[in-house]
Parts: sequence; structure tokens; C-alpha cells
Amino acid sequence: MQTFVTEAVDWPESAPELRARVRALVAEHGERDPVRRANCWTKADPEFSRRLGEAGLLGMTWPKEYGGHERSQLERYVVIEELLAAGAPVGAHWIADRQSGPLLLRLGNDELKERWVPGMARGEVFACIGLSEPNSGSDLASVRTSARRDGNEWVINGQKVWTTGAHWSHFMIALIRSEAGSERQQGLSQFVIPMDAPGVSIKPIIDLTGAHEFNEVFFEDVRLPASALLGEEGQGWRQATAELSLERSGPERYLSSMVLFLELVRHAEKDQESSVRDLVGRLASDAWTLRLMSASVAAKLARGEDHALEATMVKDLGNAYEQAIPELVQGAIEMDLSSDELLASVTAYLLQVAPSFSLRGGTREILKGIIARGLGLR
Amino acid sequence: MSDTRRMLAEMADPLFAELGFASTDSDWSRLDELGLPLLLVPEADGGFGGDHVDALTVFRLAGFHALGLPLVDRIVASRAEEGTEAHFHFGAFARTAQIAGALDAALAMSVAYVNERQQFGRPLGKFQAVQQELATFACEAAAANCAAMGAAEALDRGDAGFEIAAAKLRANRAASEGARIAHQVHGAIGFTQEYPLHQFTGRLRQWRSDFGGDAYWSKELGESVIERGADAFWPDLTARTD
Ligand SMILES: Cc1cc2nc3c(=O)[nH]c(=O)nc-3n(C[C@H](O)[C@H](O)[C@H](O)COP(=O)(O)OP(=O)(O)OC[C@H]3O[C@@H](n4cnc5c(N)ncnc54)[C@H](O)[C@@H]3O)c2cc1C
Repeated sequence: MQTFVTEAVDWPESAPELRARVRALVAEHGERDPVRRANCWTKADPEFSRRLGEAGLLGMTWPKEYGGHERSQLERYVVIEELLAAGAPVGAHWIADRQSGPLLLRLGNDELKERWVPGMARGEVFACIGLSEPNSGSDLASVRTSARRDGNEWVINGQKVWTTGAHWSHFMIALIRSEAGSERQQGLSQFVIPMDAPGVSIKPIIDLTGAHEFNEVFFEDVRLPASALLGEEGQGWRQATAELSLERSGPERYLSSMVLFLELVRHAEKDQESSVRDLVGRLASDAWTLRLMSASVAAKLARGEDHALEATMVKDLGNAYEQAIPELVQGAIEMDLSSDELLASVTAYLLQVAPSFSLRGGTREILKGIIARGLGLR
Repeated sequence: MSDTRRMLAEMADPLFAELGFASTDSDWSRLDELGLPLLLVPEADGGFGGDHVDALTVFRLAGFHALGLPLVDRIVASRAEEGTEAHFHFGAFARTAQIAGALDAALAMSVAYVNERQQFGRPLGKFQAVQQELATFACEAAAANCAAMGAAEALDRGDAGFEIAAAKLRANRAASEGARIAHQVHGAIGFTQEYPLHQFTGRLRQWRSDFGGDAYWSKELGESVIERGADAFWPDLTARTD
């Protein structure tokens, strides 16, 4: 049994040049506050996103026809791992670049692609994910938001929740029940919903850190043209599953606490206590391994192979790692969490947000269930 | 996978399976026939001329079948003189690959067992608690395999001090977690001498300490990372593969 096929990763020749460009851009325009550099892919800075677009670092793998740059998947991987490791404020465009753009390009009609994709590649158009509903969390196949056909239009009613960035996004790709009376995975479709469409309203949800990142989104008789249907009617479940494997496969699933690891090393430079030194060693070993695993998933994606199972494994391991870092740092070093000393304040922030790492994008238990099925259990 | 490597795997796999953990000194001739002890000796010197990914392939299979003969140690000894740092490092790489193989074997054994064994009127593998443990196990086995591959690639590139340290430490932790779960899902049968699980978990326990345990490698790695400093960590990490 070898569940995770380890192939050598062919790092692109352009990698050093791409890294240098990203590092320069982040040094000039990135986030200065170390606390905000932690978990950076939820921190929106539209100006930074626009600069990335200008530099040709968004929509990197997309066709030029739609404003993309026709670079390879691994070149994109190099750019995003640099941005994440540096704690750049990439939240505004993250979902658009990672999943909404590729989804539209793969499944969208010309009208949808022309309307949304070039703006995403410029870093000016942002997207959000409309999966979860109040009664549909892990059990996603139970979604109830509905689309009813009315002549040439679709009429949407219902509610999404936990929608990250709904308030800064221009559109949502939503999983919706398009066949009345259908059950579970049947009768679902994906729709592209402009956030400024009449009948769409957004209500902030403040998270436990006091930040406003996710929202409730309500649909009240929202009328969409026939062209708003993404892909095939009734194929929403299959399409959303493919979307989730894009959502789960990236290096953001292990790098959310990298800033704190680096602060730990900085602390250890001054204080050579053996327990801290050993912790640095252990976390470095994990970081190195996870980076290889994550890159080999990207390489598989680049070869066009099914990478869903490997992506799930890397997300599960990666989430456990990024979640453990603040706990281990707190355990290893005496600190006053309420002080504004650097190490303490980054630790305090990450301790607060770390529980979300194994919830967002599919919970730990759901991921392990998928892995178990891959093993031939269930 | 290159053709010669696939050939190598196709030769070694059935042979190691046949010899297994009960192999004895008289079986060396079988390994000699295939030139396996000379895996890393250059072709010009009458050896197989394998690279480090070839070595990984053979070491991993030796772990997967819990090969009784110390073929791996012989190959390691052909590379560097015992007592030298090079020998210690190469040995750590070899154990990483063996751990990866043994974890995959113990995982396969565990999955087969829970699909077979019935309690409460259904296979154990239908219980979510059992599934979640085995999913954790699969991730650990995957991590050990990736770590072994990463170290092999680094050895082929040249200096692999960092990678071997990182890989052995990661594999050590996977060895401990994997052995724990394998025994737990097997229940009492796995605690018998007759049932072969201990051939794997016993080796995993031994290999975790061989050529540097967790304490050794976390100290080594921690010191080297701290010495380079926080700002060098990420640029160093990426420069090593670019
Ligand atoms: C920070 C953050 C951002 C998010 N952003 C978005 C977004 O942009 N768009 C979006 O659509 N959603 C988003 N989500 C929602 C996320 O996808 C859900 O939280 C997740 O799918 C779990 O659903 P739930 O919260 O309803 O928990 P539940 O499904 O109610 O689960 C609660 C607990 O029960 C466990 N559980 C549930 N079912 C099972 C089972 N069958 N077996 C074992 N255990 C089970 C879960 O693992 C979990 O531990 C976000 C969540 C967070 C925390």
C-alpha cells in the first residue's frame, strides 16, 4: 500500500526570478504588522491585490485571451508559497485566483468568462464561496437555497452563511438546489451571483477576534439571466466537489502560522534554551516535509491527474501543524499574552484563530472520512 | 519512475516478499545474484551504479517486507566507513526509507484486518473511530514516504545534511504514531508472537532510535536553523530545491 505517490517535483527554472520579484514586491507594499502577517490569506488589501495583478502575478495559469499569463501550475505555486511565507495581505483576491477563476474558465460560458475573468486577473474583481448554509455545514448535500426557472430567468431564494469576504467580493459562486423536490446530491447547480444584484443582502458576522471576515448572505427573489448558470444544470455537486479539491490543495493549508515559527527562531537566536531549540528543529522538519508534500500535490495538479486524495491528506496534516505551532510556542516559552511584545502578540492572535484552521474548507473529521474512503474503508 | 528503477523494484519486490523476515544467511546468494549489495557501487567498479532514488526504492521495499537479512546495512557500509559522519548520515537516510516502507506495510495490514474482523455485527472498518485513526495513520505514512523521497533527491543533488535531519526526524515521529495505531486497531491478536504485526512495529521501534533518535535530530536541526537565523529560513528552504 502506498497511498501517497511521491514523484519528484520539477521546480520551474524561473523559480528564483519569480521569488525575487515577489519578495521585492512584498518588501515594498506588504503588511508591516506581524500580527496581521499571520493567517494572511484572510487579510484583504485590495490595493496590494491590484499591484499583484499589475505585476502579472494573478491568473498566472489562465489563457492570455482572458488576461491570464499562461504560466505553469508550478510557477503559480512558487508565487503563492512566497506570498504566504512572507505574510502578504492576499485575502481580497485569494478565492478568485485559487478557485473561482479556474472554475469559470473550465465551466463558464463566454459571457461569464468575459465579464469576470479579466478583472480577476487584474486583481480588481474578487469572489466568494457560497457553499455553507445555516443547516448545511459538513453535510453539504443538504443545501436548501433554491433556484426556480421563470421564463428566461432564474429566481434565487435562501441564505448562505460563513461567507468569507462577501463584503469585499464582486460575485459569489453558489451551490443551489435548482430542481424543486430533489434530494441530496441530485438537482443541484452552481450559479454566478453578482453581489450587487437586487435582492442580495450581506450581514456581517464578527468573529471571536473582533474581526469582520465572514458574513451571512441572503437572497430574496434575486433574478438572474439564464447565463448565470455555471456549467451544467443538475451537475452542481460534481462541480462543487472539483472546486473543493482546488480549495483544499494549496500551501495556505500549512503556512498560516509560518510567521510565528519565524518569530520563534528569532527568539531562539537570543535565548538558546534546549527545549526551544528542539522545538525549532521539530517544526522545521515538519515545514520541510509539508512543503514537499504540498508541492507534489501541485505537481500532480499540473500533470492533470486527480489529486483530491493527496490534497485532503496534506490539508489534514498541514492544518494540524499550523494549529499546533501556537500551542507549542505557548508551552515552550514563558510569556504574557496580553503584552504587546512581538512573540506574545503573534502567539495570542494565532491561539485565538487556530481552531478555525481545521474547520474552514472542510473539517478535520470530514477530511479523515474522505481519506478513510480512499483507503477502502467505509 | 525510470525504466531501470521500475526493473529494480520489480526484481526486489517479489524476492524480498519471498525471503521476508525469516530469511537466513544462506539467502545472501539470492541477493548477490541480483547484485543488490552492490547497488551503489559504480558500474565501472562492477556494481549496479544506482542513484539515491534507486537506494530509496530498495530500502523502502526492504522495510515493506521486513527483510530479515541486513542488506540495507550492507549497502550503507558500501557507501561510507562505519564510524564516520557520512556513514551515520547515510544510515539515517536508509532508516527513513525503511520506516516509510514498514509503515505502508503495517497500514495495509491494519486496513485488511479491520475490513475482515467483525464486531457488533459489522466490520471494524465501518466504525468511524477506527476509520479516523487509520486516516491519521495514512497521513503519517505519507509524510514518511515524502520525507524519504525528499532526502533521496537532496542526496542526488549533493549536500543533504538539512534534508536527512528533517526527514529522519519526521519519519521517527511517524514510526511511533503508526505503530501505536496499528496495534490499537488490531486488538489482542496483534499482541501475539504468531501474528506478524510485531515484525513491523518492532522494527519501527528500533529504527526510530537507530542513526539518531528524535532528540538527536531535533537538536541538530534546531541548532542549524537558529544559527542561520529567522530571516534565512525560508530563502534557504526554497534555494535548496530551486
Ligand atoms: C473562518 C471560516 C471561514 C469560512 N468560510 C466559508 C466560506 O467562505 N464559504 C462557505 O461556504 N463556508 C465557509 N466556512 C464554513 C465551513 O465550510 C464550515 O464551518 C464547515 O464545513 C463545517 O460546517 P459547520 O461549521 O456547520 O459544522 P458542523 O458540520 O455542524 O460540524 C460541527 C462538528 O461536528 C463534526 N461533524 C459533522 N459531521 C460529522 C460526521 N459525519 N462525522 C463526524 N463528525 C462530524 C465536524 O467535523 C465538526 O467538528 C468557513 C468557516 C470558517 C471557520
